[in-house]
Amino acid sequence: MNTQTLLWLIPLPPLLAFALIILVTNRWKALSHSLAIGAAVLSWLASMVVFFSVVRVEGLSENPIVSSIPWMPTGADSWFRIGVTLDPLSAVTLFFVAWTVLTIFIYSVGYHNFGQPRGDHDVPGLPPEGATVKGKGAHRVPSVEPMYSRFFAFISLFAFAMYTLVVSDNLLTLYIGWEIMGLCSYLLIGFWYARKTARDAAVKAFLTTRVGDVFMLLGLVGLYKATGTLNYHAIFGNEELLHTLGTTASGVLGLSQAGLYGLLLFIGTVGKSAQFPLHVWLPDAMEGPTPVSAMIHAATMVSAGVYLSIRIFPLVSQSETALLVMSIIGAFTALFAATIAGAQNDIKRVLAYSTISQLGYMIAALGVGAYVAAAFHLVTHAFFKALLFLGSGSVIHGMEHGVLHTNEHLDPQDMWNMGGLRKKMPLTFWTFLIGGFALSGFPLVTAGFWSKDEILSGAFAGGHWVVFGTLALAALLTAFYTMRQITLTFLGQPRTKAAAHAHETPATMTLPLVVLAFFAVTAGWVGIPTYFPGIGGLINPWFEEFVGSMLPAHGEAAEAGHSLIPLATSLVVALGGLYLGWLAYSKVQAGQQDPIARAVPGVHRLLQNKYYIDELYQKIFVQPARWISETFSYRIVDRTIIDGVLHGIGRGGLGLGRFVRNQIDMPVWNRFLEWLSARIPALGRSLRPLQSGRVQQYMILAITVAVLVGVLFYYFFVLA
Amino acid sequence: MDFLMGHLLSWILFLPTIAALVLLLLPDRPGLLRWYTLVASLLPFVLTLVAWANFQTGQPGFQLEEQATWYSAINASYHVGVDGISLPMVLLTTLLMPLAILASFSVKERIKTYMFLFLLLETGMLGVFLALDLMLFFVFWEIGLVPMYFLIAQWGSANRNYASLKFVLYTMGGSLGLLLAIQLIGVVSGTFDLPLLFERWPGLDSGTLLGLPVGTVKSIAFWAFVIAFAIKVPVWPFHTWLPDAHTEAPTAGSMILAGVLLKLGAYGFLRLVLPLYPVESHNFAGWLAALGAAAIIFGAWSAYGQTDFKRLVAYSSINHMGFVVLGIAAAAWVLGTQDAAIALNGAVLQMFNHGLSAAGMFFLVGVIYERTHTRDLTRYGGLFSLIPIYGGVLIFTAMGSLGLPGLGGFVSEFLVVRGAWPVFTLATALSMIGLFFTGAYILKALKMVLHGPLNEQWRGHLPEMNARELLVIAPLVVLMLVIGLWPAWLLDMINRAVVMFF
Amino acid sequence: MIPLSWYLIFAAALFCTGLFGVLARKNAIAILIGIELMLNSVNINLLAFWRYLYAPDLSALTFVAIVLVAAAAETAVGLALIISVYRRRSTVVVDDISLMKG
Repeated sequence: MNTQTLLWLIPLPPLLAFALIILVTNRWKALSHSLAIGAAVLSWLASMVVFFSVVRVEGLSENPIVSSIPWMPTGADSWFRIGVTLDPLSAVTLFFVAWTVLTIFIYSVGYHNFGQPRGDHDVPGLPPEGATVKGKGAHRVPSVEPMYSRFFAFISLFAFAMYTLVVSDNLLTLYIGWEIMGLCSYLLIGFWYARKTARDAAVKAFLTTRVGDVFMLLGLVGLYKATGTLNYHAIFGNEELLHTLGTTASGVLGLSQAGLYGLLLFIGTVGKSAQFPLHVWLPDAMEGPTPVSAMIHAATMVSAGVYLSIRIFPLVSQSETALLVMSIIGAFTALFAATIAGAQNDIKRVLAYSTISQLGYMIAALGVGAYVAAAFHLVTHAFFKALLFLGSGSVIHGMEHGVLHTNEHLDPQDMWNMGGLRKKMPLTFWTFLIGGFALSGFPLVTAGFWSKDEILSGAFAGGHWVVFGTLALAALLTAFYTMRQITLTFLGQPRTKAAAHAHETPATMTLPLVVLAFFAVTAGWVGIPTYFPGIGGLINPWFEEFVGSMLPAHGEAAEAGHSLIPLATSLVVALGGLYLGWLAYSKVQAGQQDPIARAVPGVHRLLQNKYYIDELYQKIFVQPARWISETFSYRIVDRTIIDGVLHGIGRGGLGLGRFVRNQIDMPVWNRFLEWLSARIPALGRSLRPLQSGRVQQYMILAITVAVLVGVLFYYFFVLA
Repeated sequence: MDFLMGHLLSWILFLPTIAALVLLLLPDRPGLLRWYTLVASLLPFVLTLVAWANFQTGQPGFQLEEQATWYSAINASYHVGVDGISLPMVLLTTLLMPLAILASFSVKERIKTYMFLFLLLETGMLGVFLALDLMLFFVFWEIGLVPMYFLIAQWGSANRNYASLKFVLYTMGGSLGLLLAIQLIGVVSGTFDLPLLFERWPGLDSGTLLGLPVGTVKSIAFWAFVIAFAIKVPVWPFHTWLPDAHTEAPTAGSMILAGVLLKLGAYGFLRLVLPLYPVESHNFAGWLAALGAAAIIFGAWSAYGQTDFKRLVAYSSINHMGFVVLGIAAAAWVLGTQDAAIALNGAVLQMFNHGLSAAGMFFLVGVIYERTHTRDLTRYGGLFSLIPIYGGVLIFTAMGSLGLPGLGGFVSEFLVVRGAWPVFTLATALSMIGLFFTGAYILKALKMVLHGPLNEQWRGHLPEMNARELLVIAPLVVLMLVIGLWPAWLLDMINRAVVMFF
Repeated sequence: MIPLSWYLIFAAALFCTGLFGVLARKNAIAILIGIELMLNSVNINLLAFWRYLYAPDLSALTFVAIVLVAAAAETAVGLALIISVYRRRSTVVVDDISLMKG
């Protein structure tokens, strides 16, 4: 089987699994998850084959593997073609997507308590609440998810969409995968749909990203019109075309066409990758099951937004304005989300804000032109953030176990209820530590360090001081809140009985952690810059060459970044942040307040409430939208104005009719006719005596008349 | 067999009428009447498939034509034929009809009259799509109105008298101008035959008519056409009959109303307005685009503002048909270019897709209404756990209606937006507000029906969809998916017709 | 030969007698007799004109024959009616039979 065919086939197994689970096997849990995981394995296998077949190919970006078919006719003799492609960017994306998807599929088996008894009172639409085991020493254990098969169906559909997006060779199929992922995200955030919060979070996620999507649609059609194609290589590989787009004015806000369409497409990224100001959905999306948070809201779907931005980078880079916007939004989001993350108590919410912040990093990297660094961070982040999410899921799971055991009523996701879990859940602890250190950019051994360092040096080398400073500050905060999280969760002593009774999770959950932890460390080694003191050049910086060849310019501003200042900065912020976090939280006792809240209560409240942005949006967007819909558009325009006019016409017609009836028909015609009809009987009465009933009188009358007529006839006709 | 094949379109057109007349002679047994009507409505569908198979996609002009003398005194003839624009509409009609009848199996009162009216309605609608003669077109245009009026007025819900009267008066109001304009064209051109008129009428551009300059007369006639069709589509602000009529009509009536009847208006634009008035269409395209964008935006807003499930779906039709109008307007402005072809492809495909998704949505509203006897969204809640199959189907259909990529609606919306963007950039950009709110109202409906805490009132009283209901929705679901994944089988026919016809 | 006018005068006198009988008598049978007199005076007229103007062409006599037949039929029907009325109301006085009075 050649690579093209394999590329076409990669997304299909999960789609088939989805269809089969929904239509056939939804009653059989084991069969359903076997199908889903089997499909994921097939896709993973195909992805690996494809990836390793091209990993050493020279000039892959100039001559990518392509295959396409005509899909949609667009006027005379012109077709829109869809197809698959494999170039360095999609290859590396495929690599991390395949791994994270597979591990998360396997993790889900354990997370949803496969093999556990059915819950006592579990109903579809709510998380399982535990089952009582009969027999000696009756106790409660986690119960299996009632909608187990449905979960695997949804994530299979999601995997299909993600693979479609990655192997696609044009922006339209990318958009198709993008939107189907949006649907899956909606379905999975609202997986426990009977919970009000989950339901509202699902709607919020879909609608917030849809804001970006409609702009993206405009960007798509605009670009399609301007270039006559949506194929990556036809647009982004064509320097002449890009140059034309970059120099033609679009007539909107003084942007060039490249700038306009690039920004419109970028707004799609802002929605999907939860960048400010469309970031509000991602933290709420943590209502979904944790594997979903790991897969959709850390490793793949939100990464797809950045993937798009990296894809369109050749276009965007034609416009200074667009790049500036990207770097501002990215850097601001990175810092902004990091500050909020430091004040959250929910273990998953911290990670959610951390994800937003890290995605901001990548966007900022693109904004300053550090193309490879952005792609690099995308890959490493996918691994360590998936690891962290799965680790947090494992923690929550362990806590739930403890909660069921002790029958305490507490939130198993609140970090203040944890503490000391390193002894209870060692495997989870160590892998979480690796993930956390990678996120903080712990020097040398973790992947996060290398990618983050590359971004910082990119910003530094390009002379973007503000971006550099912002990102460095964000990195400090990142290390700080990561250490806060690790300390609160795993270190110290258990602060609740539930934490004391927490339990390590089954192998289906820990094995994925180990695999991801492996990548969280090693994924960075392919991108160690050659100038790095000591170990630079020991390992070939393959990533740089491979993905860097995607840019027509080959090489970038960061090339000059041999300065050691950014390196020193990233060392200081990473270690400093970690130390500060440990310092502040290692002494925390049960029932104590957050040290920050003690120190600066006002700021803490502001951060804990996420700068009140949700409330602000509620006031300035949601409520006006409701008003416009219910009151303005429906009641005022439709019911009052348009129907009012119509009813007015109707009433006018009715009034006219009434006038004719009351003023003309009734008084004139009716009365005349009534008078007439009253006269006729009288006339009859007056003629009645003629009708005597006597034959002879009739006869006399007849003869008289006949004679009279005869006389008159004679007089008038004969004589005349 | 030759007789059948030689008059294929006439058979398709009049089989329902014949079946309706035979229906009157049948004994009054509900089961017999239902199954008979179902089988009778399947026949035109089968014949349409035959016509589809015999249709030569690449060939210009009309095919399977039939012509016979009708009113020789005024040169109006019985002339029918199809091209790549009307054939998909015929397919849509003959496909939705059996489904609507299957959906009507739950009707209990006066079944014979009900089925009779439905079959008559089918002839009326098919006639509009098949007619190649203005007079014939108008006759069928009006015929479709009568059965629908009675269906709403007799089998509708509480406010049916108001709704049916509004529906009829609105449409009749539009038809008056249409009739006059048709007479004018016929008298001036000396024929009502469409292929002849396409040659004669648009070329008429100098001299005077009725004492006015030709341009003025043609503009007036143009608006007479436009208003008649705009009411039917409906284009904002002529739309307020629709929410009432759809809401009050019986389920199958709403399916047909949204699925086919609205397409008559859009089809009128495509078949008559653009070819007969290329110049006027070009001159007034901006207005039309503005109205289309207004329909998209206001339709979506009003839909979002509803708490009545059926009314919400009704408003969604205005929103979706707005894209058809926008596409037509864009094409009118740049007729003959690739942008126009793309916009028209999108418009025609959107008509087809909306026929599928709107019929599906109305059916699903009907299914839940039959079980709960309420349409108030606030009285549902959390029904997903009670009726998971219904929930799945509803989500799927709603996503089709929302225009989720991978399903049909997206392809057509993308094409319309692509075609309209270079022509009416501002209107297209503004219509994105509507596209956003499409998501908002669809999710609002899903959220209030399926999600959230279960309203305990319904526990135990809500049976799952039965086999008959699944059979109704299955073809729609499959077609939405097929068009979304592989639009070319349908779009190729439309595209060739559009390129050759315009 | 007797001049034509004599016949005509005689027939007129006879006709007037009959007319008087019809208009003046109360008895239905007498009225019937008056009608017979009028018919026969007409016959006399017809015969007289034939004899003086058209003889010997016999075809003109058909009128006379028709009038005779009509008179006979009329008398038969009239008598039958009168008998029927008499049976029902025991009178043949026409002034008493005024059901048609308006």
